[in-house]
Amino acid sequence: MAEGLTVAPAPHIGMAVSTRRIMLDVIIALVPAVLAAGYFFRFHALIVIGTCCVTAIATEYICNLIRKRPHPGQSLGDLSAIVTAIILAFSVPANLPVWAAVIGTAVALVIGKVVFGGLGYNIFNPAMVGRAFLTASFGMMMTTWVTPATIDSDMCVISASSQSVDIRTMATPLAQSKQAIKNGSGAEKVNNQLFVMFTGEVGGCLGETSVLALLIGGLYLLIKRTITIHIPLAVLLSVFVFASIGYFANPAAYINPLVHINAGAVVLCAFFIATDPVTSPLTIKGQWVFGAGLGALIMLIRMLGEYPGAVMYSVLLMNALTPLIDRLCKVTPSGGKPYAE
Amino acid sequence: MALSIEKKLTFPGGTHPNGRKELAAEMRIKAAPAPKELAVMLSQHIGAFCKPLVKKGDSVAAGEKIGAADAFVSAAVHSPVKGVVKGISLRSHVVLGRGPAVIIEPDQQNEGPEDFHKLGVFEDFRLEDYPAETILAAVAEAGIVGMGGAGFPTRVKIEPSSKPVKKTLIVNGCECEPYITGDYRVMVEWAPQVIAGAMLAQKAAGCTEVFLAIEDNKPKAIEAMKNAVGDFSVAGENIKVVTVRTKYPQGGERQLVRALLKKEIPTGSIPPAIGVVILNVATCAAIAAAAVSGEPLTHRVVSVTGEGILEPSNYYCPIGISVRELIEASGGFAESADRVILGGPMMGISIADLSTPVTKTTGAITVLKRGQIEAANYNKVQTACIRCGRCIEVCPAGINPTKIAHTVKNGLIDLAESYYISACIECGCCSYVCPANIGLTGLIKSGKIYLATKDLKVPK
Repeated sequence: MAEGLTVAPAPHIGMAVSTRRIMLDVIIALVPAVLAAGYFFRFHALIVIGTCCVTAIATEYICNLIRKRPHPGQSLGDLSAIVTAIILAFSVPANLPVWAAVIGTAVALVIGKVVFGGLGYNIFNPAMVGRAFLTASFGMMMTTWVTPATIDSDMCVISASSQSVDIRTMATPLAQSKQAIKNGSGAEKVNNQLFVMFTGEVGGCLGETSVLALLIGGLYLLIKRTITIHIPLAVLLSVFVFASIGYFANPAAYINPLVHINAGAVVLCAFFIATDPVTSPLTIKGQWVFGAGLGALIMLIRMLGEYPGAVMYSVLLMNALTPLIDRLCKVTPSGGKPYAE
Repeated sequence: MALSIEKKLTFPGGTHPNGRKELAAEMRIKAAPAPKELAVMLSQHIGAFCKPLVKKGDSVAAGEKIGAADAFVSAAVHSPVKGVVKGISLRSHVVLGRGPAVIIEPDQQNEGPEDFHKLGVFEDFRLEDYPAETILAAVAEAGIVGMGGAGFPTRVKIEPSSKPVKKTLIVNGCECEPYITGDYRVMVEWAPQVIAGAMLAQKAAGCTEVFLAIEDNKPKAIEAMKNAVGDFSVAGENIKVVTVRTKYPQGGERQLVRALLKKEIPTGSIPPAIGVVILNVATCAAIAAAAVSGEPLTHRVVSVTGEGILEPSNYYCPIGISVRELIEASGGFAESADRVILGGPMMGISIADLSTPVTKTTGAITVLKRGQIEAANYNKVQTACIRCGRCIEVCPAGINPTKIAHTVKNGLIDLAESYYISACIECGCCSYVCPANIGLTGLIKSGKIYLATKDLKVPK
């Protein structure tokens, strides 16, 4: 026998990709949007993001201790807690009190992920679970948005230490569009805001407003092959198609499909939320069905429903359908038929 | 690589590991140093073990049959050298674990294969001199088996059949695994012999068309084979040299059939079921040597390569030479050499016993360094399956590796069966791309072994 040789199963080489690397790439892709959030919503936005991250790490560590894991810090290495934290932070208004962010993140981690068994076992996107909890519990706080600080010369800077805040709340483009549907007119006003909706100079949740920053991040993910084009394309195409139905029916009441894509969390969802590998289907065929369904649900809620936060509910509903999609959209073995189940 | 408009032939799925062929690709085949001892395994093929024809103390001549094949699906083994039988004892074998081998001590006068330098010279070959029955008899007598790795007895494979007729012969020159270059050198240096063998096989099996598939990362081999086909006017009529896209595992038989013929072999079935015969280039060369010169299969080309070897080389060596002797001939281990693999890095089996003998199906010895394996594996920590679906995207067999692996992990083997676990070709693509570092291939292999052995009774 030779000394120092290792016997291991084939294959003996592997691709330079790991769970941690995938999550790290997602975090890097979120950085432009973090910078945009800091630019438009100033310091408090960054505080919210930071709080969510710290809470996420602490929550996961405490959960590991409760579960009596031999290495409680090890699961933090896959960085998925931080991804959840940032996406959850992006989905809340910039002026959300810090304590609400803490509660939301803890719920997202515990009920969204740990209770199911940790990374890989959860059914629902943890960030969306957290946001749903916050919306249900603190509805008023979650639907009061602040205008970006860059709009007026007398900026409303919300700092952690100031006692009195002068919050200027302006209806977000989506809120205006719902009003337009009710009134049967006024969609034009929202359509004219397309440019600022693209750059991010509008009201909205702190990470979803700057479509430009999110697209840069999405492009990074596509180039690095962290995600494939199927889910983003499916979501965006589906939103476009279903929004067009309303638009061509009544352009005065329903806003332009392109505006719908830039409004709210559609781009954030398409590139970062829907592409969460754990909660989306396994096969490419299934991913197209998933994305198409997502777009349909988002538009259904936006055009016919009252809720703000259409994206969040749509994601949670499609997550629930993912196991079914996996059963229906199977791969075919070469020379055979898809397995019966 | 030149730009070409035509879409290259390929198959769905597959991966692109770093080829690393440059380590040994330009090393001409050379004779291995004279071995001190040969261990000729009595099972070097699919099918029944050979019965030994010699015992301790017998003298054997070079090429003498020392193991007889009794069953139909079996192949004889011969002594590569003139020498004395020291006995029959156990040696390590990558599939069997341990198996019986005839141990031969070569005589001092052996200098290596005499006509080594005449190999590949087949200018005077005339196909009409060899009727089909002669070819089949020669192949059987020579003990030729599939030298690409499977070891299926070639006599059985090229037996003509009528249900269905064996219409197509595919000669596999893909050598899709990283690092290994044995088949490449055979194609570059012995092209006429390979073509002669292909023509003989075609005649024996009654095939009407022959494809010679070569991956596009081997332009010299493609050129050599095209020239050789052109030299044999009768071959040029029905042998087509086809370039396929370089992708692992293009050399798998289902992937070859899919790429070249755009057909699928039904699950659970083999190529002859749709009238296809697939032979490795080295096997074809052996067929030519057997039919023309009456040579039994006693030597083969083994590629010794990898960053863990100081002087990567390609050897023409006798069957039964130990891995240790080939490694020593190649300059020995580099620093921090960690893994000795028989085969390539994707499907090859790692060994610790360097006295393992080379068999008819050993095409390569790949030695990898520790740091390089760790870097390639990206120092991966194993996490739970994140359901990313990459394994499904790359699976060339079109099955769901993560689902199957997890059914095996949880002991639900019957469920694994319904998920077509038997369609797995164990190529390793799924483990290669898995970000969670789950040993998918290993789990699936374990499931298959369990399925194959669960009904066997343990002998008393």
